[in-house]
Amino acid sequence: MDLNSLAQGIVSLLAILVLAPLFSGLVNKQKAVFTARIGAPVAQPYYELRRLLRKETINAGTASFISDISPVINLVAVVIAAAMLPIGFTKPLISFEGDIILFAYLLGLARFFQILAAMDIGSSFEGMGAAREATFAVFAEPIFFFTIGSVAFAGDFTSIYDIYHSIRLDNVNYIVFIVVCSISVLILAVTECSRMPVDDPNTHLELTMIHEVMILDNSGVDLFLYQYCSYVKLFIYAILEASLFYPLAVQNYNVAIIIFIVVIMVLATALAAVETVTARFKLKNVPHYLLFATAIGVLNLLIYTFTK
Amino acid sequence: MDMFFYSLAIQLSALVAVVFLRNSRTASAVAHLLLLAGLISGFVPTLSALFFSDAPLLDFSVYGIPDSLFRFDALGLYFLGIVQLVAIPTTIYSYSSVRHYIDKGKSIKQMLVFYPILLVATQLTVASNHSILFLVCWELMSTSAYLGMIFEKEKGDVQTGSFYYLVMNHVVVFILYVFFFLLHHQSNSWLFSDFHVSPDAGGLFILLYVLSLTAFGMKSGFMPFHVWLPRAHPIAPTVFSAFLSGIIIKTGIYGIFRTFQFLNPTPEWLGWFVLAVSMVSAIFGVWYALAQHDIKRLLAYHSVENIGIIGIGIGIGFIGSAYHSPPVQVLGFGGALLHTLNHAVFKSLLFIGSGVIYQNLGTRNIELMGGIARRGRFFAILFLIGSVAISGIPPLNGFISEFIIFNGFFTTARELKNYYPLLMLVSTVGLAFVGGLAVACFTKINSIMFLGSERKEIKHFHISPYDYLSLGILALLCSVIGFYPQPFVRVTNSVLSRSFIPGNASSALLDINWFYIGLTFLAMLAGFILIYMWKRFINGKYGRKISPAWGCGYEGLSPRMQYTASSFADQLNSISKSALGYHKKIKSQSEAFPAKNKFKSHADDFVDSKILLPWFDKFSSFISRIELFNYSDIRYYVAFILIIISIYSLIGFLWI
Repeated sequence: MDLNSLAQGIVSLLAILVLAPLFSGLVNKQKAVFTARIGAPVAQPYYELRRLLRKETINAGTASFISDISPVINLVAVVIAAAMLPIGFTKPLISFEGDIILFAYLLGLARFFQILAAMDIGSSFEGMGAAREATFAVFAEPIFFFTIGSVAFAGDFTSIYDIYHSIRLDNVNYIVFIVVCSISVLILAVTECSRMPVDDPNTHLELTMIHEVMILDNSGVDLFLYQYCSYVKLFIYAILEASLFYPLAVQNYNVAIIIFIVVIMVLATALAAVETVTARFKLKNVPHYLLFATAIGVLNLLIYTFTK
Repeated sequence: MDMFFYSLAIQLSALVAVVFLRNSRTASAVAHLLLLAGLISGFVPTLSALFFSDAPLLDFSVYGIPDSLFRFDALGLYFLGIVQLVAIPTTIYSYSSVRHYIDKGKSIKQMLVFYPILLVATQLTVASNHSILFLVCWELMSTSAYLGMIFEKEKGDVQTGSFYYLVMNHVVVFILYVFFFLLHHQSNSWLFSDFHVSPDAGGLFILLYVLSLTAFGMKSGFMPFHVWLPRAHPIAPTVFSAFLSGIIIKTGIYGIFRTFQFLNPTPEWLGWFVLAVSMVSAIFGVWYALAQHDIKRLLAYHSVENIGIIGIGIGIGFIGSAYHSPPVQVLGFGGALLHTLNHAVFKSLLFIGSGVIYQNLGTRNIELMGGIARRGRFFAILFLIGSVAISGIPPLNGFISEFIIFNGFFTTARELKNYYPLLMLVSTVGLAFVGGLAVACFTKINSIMFLGSERKEIKHFHISPYDYLSLGILALLCSVIGFYPQPFVRVTNSVLSRSFIPGNASSALLDINWFYIGLTFLAMLAGFILIYMWKRFINGKYGRKISPAWGCGYEGLSPRMQYTASSFADQLNSISKSALGYHKKIKSQSEAFPAKNKFKSHADDFVDSKILLPWFDKFSSFISRIELFNYSDIRYYVAFILIIISIYSLIGFLWI
């Protein structure tokens, strides 16, 4: 790896880390506009993070060392995962054959400790959230491999950077392929980042939440780390989505960046629109929704078979 | 390699100590010291042979041992290394657990006698080159494990659980006799090194594979044959269940690898068959595990899962062998071999951990545990390391071997084209699904056992330094293989090129960017330390305090109100209710005021309760109906055995 690409990788990682809260701000702002409110400023997530950082940390009396280390492990895992993603045609900081596996399992590491930290309190509220997270995650993993995996097998590449660059638009089937993939990545993002219709981040009832209830007993810098992680995680899925459209840029560096920005914007609007028009599913229906997403993945497989 | 026999002699001399020393404490100390000395003195030459020597075949005729009896080829050495490596911490733990039994006033002779025999027999099994010797050692290994298992024989469930194991072993040995007899008939030799059957043999080739996969698959616990595992593991003393799960089921894997050495190249359908069976074992193994409340039973089901993962690697290797594609073979078999080592390490760690908990709490039911992390913080960390490793999560060793198998999928798709990419994609999704379920399961047991507050008051919690030492060694191994996998991968690769793929030209295993992966893991570690320090700094600046957990304003929270293991796993278990045999029973007596309610959830094993047991019942009722063999006098049975043996010998005699 030469110095230039190293610098590029660092810059794109920093861009991801800095822009992540902005994306959530965008979604929230548009959601407010759709429901005819003025809404908080787009930079609100940054303000909230700054506020959290200055608060005193309060731990539950039952908490053990897990509550202490888990936010840090979460952040590390998510940041390393973010370092594998390309922005435009820049080579990411970490990129090697098979990094798609490491990417998926790093998010697994984050999840593992998030669930443990939730259960650490011993409260049933957190327990419910943790159990839901564990259940839905089991189905989210196959969806990831059905979508990104099928692109990988189609192009014979196993590094996220190469996978996205192997996509060629000269075959009509590929376009269908990409469209279907983007739908399942969207569903994946909704599931993994606890957005509507799987989870409602704005609800005020502990019994119905997933992500928010897991961090119910965290505050101060711990909560800062968790919230920041969830912003980065949402942005990671947004990038996974945006990367599917890079081939439209036909190897032009600047066009790719523009496409990146446009897709991110469109995605934020889409998420906001979905959250405006739908209500949260009943929790027992969520597995059906995820199975539907898996079915889309199988559809992917079929398209893939015809593409070959 | 004469050191090997000296080391065995030292280990066996532990028996002498047991026989001659009256005081059980000194006997145990001396015996364990001798065992340790023997194991270490055996492990060092094994290690050096694995790493440095290219032709570890030695001449034994000097010692009066026919050089054909034992052979230390790369595959045998690899498994020998695993046995010795994992036996060292197990032996350290064994000392502490035996001391615990002595404190309770139990006679520990039985354990001290059969444990050394088990160790020695297992090492001889993987080193033997002669079929008959192999079978004798195999039988010795299985029987001594059985005799150690029934240590607490006054308990009813010990009797039934160990009986399953005993029956399974006899069936295995019977099939193996036929297997080796056929091999002998084919090649006119009893030596492993002379066996070779090519697929041209047609029916015989397939028959041999069917026999081998049935027998060794039974021993290692592939899915339809796994029923003995969840019955035998919980009732055995921890030392034996750790050894059983860590090592003995691996001898089945060893057997399958040996069979592949005799019978290759494999047909393609066999690869698919092994892959499919293993996938079923992996997925349902972990799913059954999720529904268990007994920690050892749960871990036993996890052995089924991990054997499944090893089997997936073997299946990929078989496919590679069918297509004569070295990279596919190297990645498939390599992943399987490395996962064998990894599973031996972290499963022993988890079993020993569960044994320590059992010693202190007197229960194996995880619903009665909780809050152990605050009693023994280091212990919780060590158990956590094992849990993260077994879930296949980076940066520990479980990830490394699963990563190789994933790479095997990708390479198979790339090398073999055709319909392979599609099927490999399905396999990838399957393995990822297993990983997801394992995360659910190990977050469940870690959080219920270690976190929260104590559901049942823990009266005293004591962990001896020996426990820490043994768990520490295993946890260290998990981390070392995770962070610095190169030497282990290199050994695996050299085992493959020395045993299976002569003149192995493929460097697929070494070509994986291990350096980069190690660097990423180190970056994770460094990042963790830095951010943690930063967090401590912020905490110092803005303060940190303890306050009760949020209870919606309700302040009378009690440990009984915590989330339970059943409720944690309920949603996942309900999804595949019928396959799991998962059912819940709620006895509620709602009147005007809520009264005491009862809740029970249980998961029957589908294979066990719907397929095997009814069949066994039918068989036994059939036998009892014909009353042919129903005598009350044991001498009749002895006579039967004699008659059967004479018939066998007659057949053998006439055949030759």
